[in-house]
Amino acid sequence: MITVKNISKSFRGKQVLFDISAEFEPGKVNQIIGKSGSGKTVFLKSIVGLHGINSGEVWYGNREYSRAGFREKRAIRQEMGLVFQGGALFTSLTVEENVMLPLNMFSEMSRAEKIERVNFCLQRVNIVNANHQYPAEISGGMQKRVAIARAIVMNPKYLFCDEPNSGLDPQTSIVIDNLIRELTVEYNITTVVNTHDMNSIMEIGDQIIFIFEGKNWWQGNKSEIFNSTNQELNDFVFASKLYKKIKDVQI
Amino acid sequence: MFKVFRKPERLRIYLKQIMSEIDSIGLNSVGIVAIVSVFMGAVLTIQMAINFVNPLIPKYLIGLSVRDTMILEFSSTVICLILAGRVGSNIASEIGTMRITEQIDALEMMGVNSAGYLIFPKIIAAVITFPLINLLSIFLGIIGGYALTFVTGIVAMPDYLYGLHYYFIPFYVTYSVIKMVVFAVIISSVSAYHGYYTSGGALEVGRSSTRAVVYSIILVLFFDLVLTQLLLT
Repeated sequence: MITVKNISKSFRGKQVLFDISAEFEPGKVNQIIGKSGSGKTVFLKSIVGLHGINSGEVWYGNREYSRAGFREKRAIRQEMGLVFQGGALFTSLTVEENVMLPLNMFSEMSRAEKIERVNFCLQRVNIVNANHQYPAEISGGMQKRVAIARAIVMNPKYLFCDEPNSGLDPQTSIVIDNLIRELTVEYNITTVVNTHDMNSIMEIGDQIIFIFEGKNWWQGNKSEIFNSTNQELNDFVFASKLYKKIKDVQI
Repeated sequence: MFKVFRKPERLRIYLKQIMSEIDSIGLNSVGIVAIVSVFMGAVLTIQMAINFVNPLIPKYLIGLSVRDTMILEFSSTVICLILAGRVGSNIASEIGTMRITEQIDALEMMGVNSAGYLIFPKIIAAVITFPLINLLSIFLGIIGGYALTFVTGIVAMPDYLYGLHYYFIPFYVTYSVIKMVVFAVIISSVSAYHGYYTSGGALEVGRSSTRAVVYSIILVLFFDLVLTQLLLT
């Protein structure tokens, strides 16, 4: 369980997040949705500690992360996996070396065990025979899947994905979504996905937080979206004619 | 800077990184250093020969001048100015690109001390390789001058060789190596700092790289003055 209490964040005097509170439950895909520039990436990066917060608290279980020291923070980070929007794979390392890096740094496994674990994670994300290729030699969808493999290689308790479907075709997006959902349920991970992809919201969103102008504007699940009277949420979710029609049919 | 020198998470990985950086920073610079040093030695020999026209000045002083100039200044400071351009821009752009493509954030998220993992091996590799490059440059500069005397006969070869041996002060080599170690720390850490704190896009990586080279050069020249004052006077 991740608990966020009243966090605020500003950059050079410009406030981006306003007093946001939320809870993210294990075994569920928790989604943060919102328009571009609404502050959802800043919110996600504040939760994982890549951005310092101005006020508020972030708790991982019963450990307060926002005020933790270097060692404690590092220990909590080893329980996290983050899939970046662009993959953030190390371009000078092969696919296998990318996934193996956290194991090399923090595990006591033998080399054979590490290779076995890397292969297991790569197979789990449907990547085969690409161990010795470099990120530049594989497609965008494969890079995202390698990034997911790297994020899960240490058996994380918490998985964060920043717009995992951006730049991907609809079919690959569905593959990524299903993968995130399967991993979440299979390993009872607390997953937080940052997205503005409507298919993804409708497919895998167990718990959804709508961020509007840096505030927690609406909270619920995917079925509650259809009955919501929140104007800003409706403007965002049902912006296209197709989704308006789907809403009408649902209602 | 404090984060750079924190205890490494896994020493073996850092050693591997250091070896890789020795290759990237040191061995890959040998070619350009060799070419520059040979030509510097040759040009110095010509200039000394042209200027030492007074018959009262013995010709062997040409060899001595070439040797001491290479040791005292050219193979340390001038070579470091070249390395600031080659190695400094390389370090700044590599780390800067890692920053803007979120690779550094990815390291932090794994719990890795990104500053230590990326910068510490570069500083150590520079400190190991720069003095070796310095010694190589001194040797090749003197060889460049020797080759020129052999080809052109601008100075009699026995005179040149006598000058090379004449009144040799071993401390000059120590001084040169000390300077090289200090310059290695300056170039690698200043460039890494500018790369690490890059923000924005590709344009900013270029700017960081330029800033890294400019600041490195200024600091190298400043510390050249300070060290010379401290060690030679």
